[in-house]
Amino acid sequence: MTDEIRFEHISMEFPGVLANDDISLSIRNGEVFALVGENGAGKSTLMNILYGINTPTAGSLYVRGEKVTEFSPKAAINRGIGMVHQHFMLVPSFTVAQNIALGREPKKGKVLFDNKKAERLTRELIEEYGLEVDPSAEVRDISVGLQQRVEILKTLYRGADILILDEPTAVLTPQETDELFEVIRRIVREKQMTVIIITHKLYEVMAISDRVGVMRQGKLIGVENTCDVDERKLASMMVGRPVLFDHLEKTGDPGEVAIKVDDLFVADNRGLPAVRGVSLSVRRGEVLGIAAIEGNGQSELLEAITGMRKINRGRVTVCGNDATGKTPGEIRAMGLSHVPEDRLSTGVDKVASVTDNLLVGRQKEKRFNLFGFHQRRSTVERYASELYKKFDIRGAGIHTEVGSMSGGNMQKVVVAREFSFDTPVLVISQPTRGVDIGAMEFFHTRIIEKRNDGAAILLSSADLDEVFRLSDRIITLYEGKITGEFKADAITKEEIGLYMTGTGEGAKA
Amino acid sequence: MKQAFAWIRRRLNLSYIVAVIISIFVALLIDAIILVAAGHNPIAAYRGLIVYPFSSLRHFGDMLEYAMVLCLCGLACVVGSRVGIFNVGGEGQLLLGGLVAAYVGSQMSGMSMWLVIPCAALAAMATGGLYAFIPGILKVKLKVNEVITTIMLNSVAALICSFFSSSVWKNMSQNEGIDVKEFRFATLIRGSKLSTAIFASALVTFFVWYILQKTSKGFEMRLIGDNPRFARFAGLKTDRIVIIAMIVSGMMCGLVGMFRVYGAEYAFISSKVSNEYYFEGLMVAMIAQYQPVPTIIISIIFAILKSGARGMQNAGVTIQIYWVMQATVIFCMAAQTGIRASIQKARQRRAAERDVAARREGGVANE
Repeated sequence: MTDEIRFEHISMEFPGVLANDDISLSIRNGEVFALVGENGAGKSTLMNILYGINTPTAGSLYVRGEKVTEFSPKAAINRGIGMVHQHFMLVPSFTVAQNIALGREPKKGKVLFDNKKAERLTRELIEEYGLEVDPSAEVRDISVGLQQRVEILKTLYRGADILILDEPTAVLTPQETDELFEVIRRIVREKQMTVIIITHKLYEVMAISDRVGVMRQGKLIGVENTCDVDERKLASMMVGRPVLFDHLEKTGDPGEVAIKVDDLFVADNRGLPAVRGVSLSVRRGEVLGIAAIEGNGQSELLEAITGMRKINRGRVTVCGNDATGKTPGEIRAMGLSHVPEDRLSTGVDKVASVTDNLLVGRQKEKRFNLFGFHQRRSTVERYASELYKKFDIRGAGIHTEVGSMSGGNMQKVVVAREFSFDTPVLVISQPTRGVDIGAMEFFHTRIIEKRNDGAAILLSSADLDEVFRLSDRIITLYEGKITGEFKADAITKEEIGLYMTGTGEGAKA
Repeated sequence: MKQAFAWIRRRLNLSYIVAVIISIFVALLIDAIILVAAGHNPIAAYRGLIVYPFSSLRHFGDMLEYAMVLCLCGLACVVGSRVGIFNVGGEGQLLLGGLVAAYVGSQMSGMSMWLVIPCAALAAMATGGLYAFIPGILKVKLKVNEVITTIMLNSVAALICSFFSSSVWKNMSQNEGIDVKEFRFATLIRGSKLSTAIFASALVTFFVWYILQKTSKGFEMRLIGDNPRFARFAGLKTDRIVIIAMIVSGMMCGLVGMFRVYGAEYAFISSKVSNEYYFEGLMVAMIAQYQPVPTIIISIIFAILKSGARGMQNAGVTIQIYWVMQATVIFCMAAQTGIRASIQKARQRRAAERDVAARREGGVANE
């Protein structure tokens, strides 16, 4: 094997951040190389240099022994480098073939787009690489997994033999992930392609890669043969200290029902039905996890329960009170707290300080108000510092603007506020999205603490592992309907995957 | 000591103050070029501008009265924008408030001033508040853009005012207008427009500042303005608070109208009661980034600029050149956000450079 790509002392400095710090790395021809690291470790920056989006501030890059002088995506494509971004860059109303040909369209008489030829070329490509997809289907009608194939085909159409995949499995079901890995293995084996995969899911690294590079705070911490390491070792390399993925101690028996949803119908922002007849109940002292691929009604369901979205039909009961059609404030008063899916738009006031964000919801409490209206700033600040310490929020102190904090710390502010209400019901959505591994542990421990203290917790997460780790029971949602309900320890991820795509057979106990 | 410094920095937004000063300075520099090009001596012109409002008590009084109007109008805008609603209709609320106040006065002829003035003030506030309630409720219930409705309602108000003051409610013999000479705030400086209304204004100003900055209601208002979805999520009654803020904003504008009638003009004559004063107050609020204390200070700066026009004319500068000047000053002050952003960026960059240098020396810091 020869060196396909060689980074030599590459540094990339943005105003305020050293995103890549003196990185030297060789990637060999015909291997699957995994690049792992937490958010902000500099993985994407490094790959953007390879793909020509960023020009490094120092160091040099060699592709097949040739020094790269011109950094642009166009030049990178000409060198045979293709990149599939996390968010697909496809035109929804175009067909698969049109999307693939876009940018290098076959022409009829030099002017007109030759659709037939585009489809023929696409079909040839599909046969050559074994990536099954219908060339004449419109992209908006095909699944996310297939859309990803279209993205891969697009790079192949442009003659790529080095393929960069940025977090390719984030939107896929376990089955789709397996299929993707099958494709990767095949193109590497049969076409001698080089594949670089950016991820932070460690079991995927173990499953697919030949070698793995770990990045932390802009530096390359180490490069290992995948067969020489395990997940635990990689995790501690990523975080910089040993990470304890210990079993979470779940104690106590479930108590009375605290959330009850009967035959709920909710529409999404476009007015189309998103939740179609969902019924569920959560007892105190248990976690009910929702497993669903994004966009199958789980967001709308949680918003309807917490009063953030209009209910078209059905009934929601919180702690024995009718919460149907009530405002978020009224439902909170019944004993519900809510960690929202999108913390930036719903969970915080970005331009306000940490103090103010922690106070929200308690601003009317007697201890913070003199004569019932004058805000006692010193008491407020004392209260905020206590929570700040208790929830291990790290940043420049309680006066920091929340919008300037990292995702993990911002989430800690949200969780600190919501958990401090000590309500019997918690609705939690995406607790660790964009949060690094170290903080993930912290949130998981806190959630289980709440469960053991007798809270009824309804959890939704795009991270299937998280759902498995935290839940007592799991329901699967597909196109707004419950397709199955399971005890978390009585089912595997693969089985759940079938129900998430609506192909599971019947519901188990 | 260090703590005290940090406290001051937190309280006084230094980058903002520096940016405003720079922007005024830049504007004066540009204007100096214009003045020279037009054949004037810029130093003499500026001297006239600055000195005039302080050259006599009368000028000083007029300047303060104007500052008072700008300040109240600016704060009315601040109250709305604090909850995320932009009241551009203050001009109409002001005029209608003044009209109704004048009408009340003209109908209560012969009664005690101690009865008439409060009645007129209440009537003006009720009118202004009601007139602001219309776009407020439309915004909250039907999501109708308040900028458009308030602007349109300004024209409606102006026409209503000229109709009533020139025909139905007119009580002046020659011109259009409603005369209320009988009742007035006591004049503080003879010959100027400064009256005891300024004490009432100071009280209102203090009240607004206190509620916005120091109370839990003000806290809730700010949350709604910053992120309405988050405020709703946190359980606030956002719709109600937005409507109330809009009504209060309108009440303040109505009160300004009443102050103008009973404190300065002693009659309701549309063109004299307000000459787009609310829009200048709006500008003040924008430059002050909708913060109460800067609004007060910038109102005074604006008032000096405006009343200094006469001083510049005395120095031989034509009024058109003065208008150009005023526009450049406003333009530069409005651009101060840009100046401020660049100040902050430079500061961040310096901090980052230090950070990067420290990391290079110490290797990757372990947490």
